[in-house]
Amino acid sequence: MDEAATIRAAQSGDADAFERLVRSYDQQVLRLAMNLLRNAEDAQDVYQETFLRVFRNLGNFRFDCQFSTWLYRIATNLCLDLLRKRKVRRTEPAAVETEDGVLDRLEAVSEARPAGDPQRAALNRELRSWIEQALAGLTPRERLVFELRHYQGMRLKEIGEALGSSEEAAKNCLFRATQKMRQALGEFL
Amino acid sequence: MSCKEVRDLIPLYLYGELGFDEEERVEQHLASCAECNAERARCERLTALLEQGEADVSAQLLARCRRDLAAALEKERKGRSWSGAVRRLWSRWVVSPPMWARPAGAVAMLALGFFGARMVPEDAPVLGPLARSGAPAVVGKVRFVDTTSRGEVRVQYEEIRPRELRGTFQDERIQRLLLAAANDPADPGVRVESIDLLKYRTANAEVRRALINALQTDDNPGVRLKALEALRPYARDTETRQALAQVLLADKHAAVRLAAVEMLADVQEPDVAGALQQLLHREEDQYIRQRTLKALAAMKASYGTF
Repeated sequence: MDEAATIRAAQSGDADAFERLVRSYDQQVLRLAMNLLRNAEDAQDVYQETFLRVFRNLGNFRFDCQFSTWLYRIATNLCLDLLRKRKVRRTEPAAVETEDGVLDRLEAVSEARPAGDPQRAALNRELRSWIEQALAGLTPRERLVFELRHYQGMRLKEIGEALGSSEEAAKNCLFRATQKMRQALGEFL
Repeated sequence: MSCKEVRDLIPLYLYGELGFDEEERVEQHLASCAECNAERARCERLTALLEQGEADVSAQLLARCRRDLAAALEKERKGRSWSGAVRRLWSRWVVSPPMWARPAGAVAMLALGFFGARMVPEDAPVLGPLARSGAPAVVGKVRFVDTTSRGEVRVQYEEIRPRELRGTFQDERIQRLLLAAANDPADPGVRVESIDLLKYRTANAEVRRALINALQTDDNPGVRLKALEALRPYARDTETRQALAQVLLADKHAAVRLAAVEMLADVQEPDVAGALQQLLHREEDQYIRQRTLKALAAMKASYGTF
């Protein structure tokens, strides 16, 4: 079944079809939220709220843009709201408390990793802390555009659409973001 | 185009976000300017560096998100169907009941209130039978919907009912279910947990094959790492060794490649040295390169030419 047919089925109340839609995009949405918010709990909130809003408003989706664009618009707005409202601290600790114990936010997979050697861990920690600081130096919009282009691989045109903005504005944001990152991480290059 | 203009455009050039003409001009400039080329190399290094800043999403977190979303959706659906049904009933029988039913309805409501208050004991378990009915079945797939000659609606559907099986590892049914769960495409969280349990059964060749399959084909790096760890006691076994060598050269995730290098470092076999030497040809991660060189040095294998 192609995506349009799945969306129509979900619009008419087919729970399986809705589940398929969720599964097609949920890893990207979660990764987007984790990258932007650097906090598993916040990312989980954004994940849930995004798909609940999709569920509630799917009936109003009229195929006048890509479904993914519409979905990203919801998810990115939620992330932007959180970034603005909660005023994410400029530098955050690398680990966070979760119900499963202390979790390394940047390297969440590490819970499944073999114990690396301490020298490497220290090196990685330092580098990651620099990257964190560099990312924290971006404005919420710059961070969002950078995230969508760099980590999610979206084209600037799509990013403009998802943010309800123009391709040119997204391009300017990306330009500023890369300049700042280049400056902040210059000594590693 | 001046050097400054080109340098400003290099990040967008690397993202492939320049128009055709602009890209052409940047390329012409780069072909003849060593300094701008060095800047391009620095920007490429920045891109590679930032890959390490990407937050990996753990299979456990994803599983938790999916589980909570399923519960929230279930609640939404129940709310919808209840409020929809109540709205319809309210509208049909209370807001605008058919003319013939109005007097009868008034009498019926009076009677219901009068007798109801006397007949229903205060602690009546109104929801008792429903609550005792066990796990509810979920409608899986509706096969067809039609009407019969008597005007009834006929719906044929499949029902999915959760079931639970308890037993020891020796129980063949448990083993079969764990092997199936290790390949369940729907939920990486379930795959991780199954593999975590299967690691105690690696003496069984079928289990090892399932783990090797997960290591080579699972799209979630967390699951692949779990499978790799579970295979550790069999790193010297030919089949496992070959799978690890393949992971070294093909896995996209640096953490998985690194874990494979570390596991193979203890296996002093010529084919392992060959795989590690091959890895040096293509590996870009500096730390993995260092670990590989160290492993080759410990094996007294050559590495000077790489």
